[in-house]
Amino acid sequence: MAGEKQGTLLSRLTTVDRRVIYLLMTLVVAWPMFKLVTLPVLISKEVAGFDREIEALTAGDHVIFAFDYEPDVMAELDPMSRAVMDRLFEKDVEVVALTLYPGGAGIAQPVLESAAREHNKVYGEDYVFLGYNPDWSGTMLRLGESIKATYPADQFGRDTRTMPILADCDSYKDVKLLVSICGSQLTEYWAALAGGRYGQKIVSGNTAVQAVFIYPFYQSGQIKGFLGGLKGAAEYETAIERPAFGVRGMGSQTMGHLLILLFVVIGNLGYLAARRAGTGGSGGVTGGGGRA
Amino acid sequence: MLERTLPILLATVAGLFMAAQFFIPHPAMLRIYNLALDWKQIVFGCTLMLGVVSLIRFHWRKVARRAPGAFYSGVALVSCLATIGTAFFGIETGLYPWLYDRVQAPMQATLFALLAYFVASASYRAFRARSVHATLLLAAGAVVMLGRVPIGDLIGFDAGGERWSLGSLASWILDVPSLAAKRGILIGVGLGMISTSIRIILGIERAYLGQSSGEGQGRS
Repeated sequence: MAGEKQGTLLSRLTTVDRRVIYLLMTLVVAWPMFKLVTLPVLISKEVAGFDREIEALTAGDHVIFAFDYEPDVMAELDPMSRAVMDRLFEKDVEVVALTLYPGGAGIAQPVLESAAREHNKVYGEDYVFLGYNPDWSGTMLRLGESIKATYPADQFGRDTRTMPILADCDSYKDVKLLVSICGSQLTEYWAALAGGRYGQKIVSGNTAVQAVFIYPFYQSGQIKGFLGGLKGAAEYETAIERPAFGVRGMGSQTMGHLLILLFVVIGNLGYLAARRAGTGGSGGVTGGGGRA
Repeated sequence: MLERTLPILLATVAGLFMAAQFFIPHPAMLRIYNLALDWKQIVFGCTLMLGVVSLIRFHWRKVARRAPGAFYSGVALVSCLATIGTAFFGIETGLYPWLYDRVQAPMQATLFALLAYFVASASYRAFRARSVHATLLLAAGAVVMLGRVPIGDLIGFDAGGERWSLGSLASWILDVPSLAAKRGILIGVGLGMISTSIRIILGIERAYLGQSSGEGQGRS
């Protein structure tokens, strides 16, 4: 009798209301933002590779910085862009920024302007924002022949041929490093088109989902290092000793992951109990779990 | 006949040229290559405009016919035209950047953030250790989820002068089995792209003309 009751109680574990899950998710993600939780961040080899390439740059080197993402993944990728831009300007590296996403222009401008203000950089001399070009594959290839022909005017309509920053920089052969901060597959295409055809050295920052696809390119040396998700941003901030939003976000991310795992365990306990009781349990990949 | 033959001929010539120029570094080839890339960008830009016109026409028809969902089509139409309109008054300051910062960015970020809720709820309902395969998937997923946050590096032990943690196990999963699978997929996709390209160049693949493969063969 007692065993039966226990079985029923455990079986109920498979029927937690989704609103309870939503509420708990809100709480565990929000709480570390208000009460700062600091966790030690170890630097992975991929991030160390990224950092090594940035540190190898010297003052006056040119870098192409591709803001290939839109506001949907800003929370994950903006901390990377800010940390990397900050470090590039700190090292007096000249930045040629562009985007292959129409929504990327609104993201690139504030990041560039805030870093430029902090480091007293002059537009057109120390950095330039070329803006959005619609044909991503054509742009990647054309930049290998001529930056100024690909972008005759910058984001604000100014003539790129008269800009001091581009006076001695007109193709990949004048660019020391290409940084692709990307929320899609474009990093892979940078590796194939700019890296494969023109031998451009590339590092990238990608969303955690996309980072999984970067490993083959990293292992083959086509991408020299990459930052994967918010954790990658946190690792890079740690590497350059400037903890910012990436490091701060680790508390929320950890709690979110732990909550998901907790619910997976709860769901499985309930499922096993229901199976033992002979009711089969609800949900499951093959069982149909109702609404998400 | 011309409407079928001409596009196929163009695709064949362009495809053969782009393949050949990769192996022939002659200045004349380079000039044509640059010209082709410029044209490609122009054509791509035109397709974007075509897309906007098509979108406006689609929603306009729905609104005019008062079809189901006409209200949402109206919202899409107004939003699209308002955004285009405000851009004429300046993209650096004014209403255009305001719309981006205050409407588009928060909306996109909110929609993506909702994934956290759906992933949590769906994982709870769908991830069941029903079989050996499902259990393996579950275990690998759990290790990677914990290993990709700082706490994963704390769960582990030191042995033989090395740190063995969930973080290092997650890295191994991503570095070895996951990478092997991804590479296999990439090679397969690459081979598929090559074979499709050859079929297009030879005029066998005609889906891009709105025809099924091989359709119309022998007639032209």
